[in-house]
Amino acid sequence: MKILTDAFNDLARKGVEKARARPFLKTVPHFLYQKREIGLASLPDVAEAHARGAGIRADVLDRLPELLEEFEKNAMANGAKVFWARTAEEANEYIVNLARERGAEFVIKGKSMVTEEIGLNDLLSENGIKPWECDLGEFIIQLMDSTPYHIIVPALNVTVEEIRDLFMAKAGMKEPTLDPVELGYAARLFLREKFHRAEFGVTGVNMAVAETGTIINLENEGNIRFAKSSPRTQVSVMTLEKVVPTMKDAMHIMRLLSRNCSGQKISAYVSMDSGPRKEGEIDGPDELVIVIIDNGRSRIYQDPQARGALRCIRCSACLNVCPVYRQIGGHAYGWIYSGPMGQVLMPPLLGLDRTQDIYRASTLCGACKSVCPAGIDHPGLFLYYRSLDVSADQEFRGKKRPWREALFFKLWALAVKNPWMWNSGISLTRPFINKNSHDGVMRRMTGAFGGWFKTRDLPPVARKTFHEKWKETKKKH
Amino acid sequence: MQSARDEILGRLKAARKTKPRDMPDVQQSRDPVQGKEEMIRAFTGMLRLETGIVHRVENSSRAKEKLTEIAKEEGLKRVMVSTDDVVAPLDLPAWGNSIGVQVMRSGDFAGRDDYKDAVFDIADAGITGADFAVAESGTLGLILDRDQPRLISLAPILHIAIVPVDRIFSVYEQVMERVFKKDTYPGQFVFITGPSMTGDIQGHLFKGIHGPRKVIVILVG
Ligand code: SF4
Repeated sequence: MKILTDAFNDLARKGVEKARARPFLKTVPHFLYQKREIGLASLPDVAEAHARGAGIRADVLDRLPELLEEFEKNAMANGAKVFWARTAEEANEYIVNLARERGAEFVIKGKSMVTEEIGLNDLLSENGIKPWECDLGEFIIQLMDSTPYHIIVPALNVTVEEIRDLFMAKAGMKEPTLDPVELGYAARLFLREKFHRAEFGVTGVNMAVAETGTIINLENEGNIRFAKSSPRTQVSVMTLEKVVPTMKDAMHIMRLLSRNCSGQKISAYVSMDSGPRKEGEIDGPDELVIVIIDNGRSRIYQDPQARGALRCIRCSACLNVCPVYRQIGGHAYGWIYSGPMGQVLMPPLLGLDRTQDIYRASTLCGACKSVCPAGIDHPGLFLYYRSLDVSADQEFRGKKRPWREALFFKLWALAVKNPWMWNSGISLTRPFINKNSHDGVMRRMTGAFGGWFKTRDLPPVARKTFHEKWKETKKKH
Repeated sequence: MQSARDEILGRLKAARKTKPRDMPDVQQSRDPVQGKEEMIRAFTGMLRLETGIVHRVENSSRAKEKLTEIAKEEGLKRVMVSTDDVVAPLDLPAWGNSIGVQVMRSGDFAGRDDYKDAVFDIADAGITGADFAVAESGTLGLILDRDQPRLISLAPILHIAIVPVDRIFSVYEQVMERVFKKDTYPGQFVFITGPSMTGDIQGHLFKGIHGPRKVIVILVG
């Protein structure tokens, strides 16, 4: 999949135009946010519960290598196979080879962000193995050849008309309909055949419990349960930060994840695998393979501050609350992760140079931080990435700013710290600045500051500074 | 060459440690319910919120009468049943015979493929017991094993679960303690709360996208 994180401005503009034409884009995040509030109200103390969630995730990062070793040991004792992959390529190659060895003609996939991240579907297809996305939203965007608009509701932006046409053309639907329920049943019929015949299932992982070697998936549809019940081979793919210490911790995160995601107390299905099926069981996989992927995380982990991005449990609360996401939608962020969680993860993952606007597209209002059950300080990280970028950080490929901008801020810093310089600077530059004022507002500016005014207005600089006025008033009295 | 595993773990171990933060231990749910009747009430209320249907009967012969009623209402012709410790003693094949419903069990099939064909394409409903129920959210807990195959509670469009009331617990943790106490854990354990559902078409919620459209629970006791 092409990564377009450097085209943020263009994509955001397109996103805003599309969102105008499709009012439900504006309502669903609000709606989810309200459901979240109601769901959280069933906790005795939300702040405390979130503090514990944040504590668990911090604890995970503190002890990450040890927890991973513990998880691996216990998962293997349960009979699972564990494969480690440094990169997306290593993971893809391994999974594709395994599917080939097992003679899989097609693969059923439960919803998983990480397999989107590594682009597994492309590689499977290239090798003649058809991947079927089985989460309804993922299925729709797969048929459309598109990318997720929202990490939890991937096809949020797709209209019923589009889905009707897609299903008629590609999912064997016989009668055209605009009824979402009918459309859903058409998908049920089509995918059921895949669930039935599948011999190779791929899923993501929400949590990997170190204490027991168990992997846990939360879902509402059941596609993940099918992928873990019907095929002979189950491959569950996780990035290395998914581990949690104990089952008790997992239950707490489960409560927080369900509520923050959709306002549910618990998602419809929570399935927990400790190894493959046992002797004498008629369904379930003969083999369970857990693929642990690094793909840049251990590098992020080297930086104690950027490490915070790895706390995320993918609940999507920060997307739904973000005033920027609500305007521009998920495609503006240029890759599979969107909203504030994408803005904290993608810059260190892809490089600060390729994500220049991603960590700047924030007013630092802190709405994301205020809802996050994992205790991520998004605004703090945005500022941190900006500072790394300005100082041309090597590790995360900071770009440095143009010399004129750097010079301007040097002078600015000098001026604001020195009243004399500030006052004389204002009187000197006032006539030039105010040239841009029309009818008492500056809407546009020529020259270097033009960009700032593209989306903002300012009143002109006052004829007299506050200090000048103050002196005059004092004289009068 | 160093293995991927050792390289990744090595890199993580070489990184600077952060200081552990304190982690408040919190009360898990608002006023956890206690007492049998209160838990039954909470479980029922919660599951109904998720559109689950809950009946309560006094004993297992009444449970079978309830099943007969449901079979009539839903027009069931063929059902797949588990053989777990709740369902097996009910002798559902005999029950089916008496009312003209074909009762299938996983053991009736020559192999996995035949069983899959039946559970996907033939069964109108899956009937199972449950090892646990959780009042906190109206949730069923099933240990999946040779007597509780995974697809019976998943593939048919209707799932009927029979649950002795003494299996209801207040919060998840009490259940997890019991499931994960032995050395060998179940291959799969699942929490089920209501039917299979989705909101993926423009946020429109509907039930039965891949799994059951309806979940009926018969509480016994
Ligand atoms: S950053 Fe926090 S709020 Fe956003 S998805 Fe991740 S856990 Fe949820």
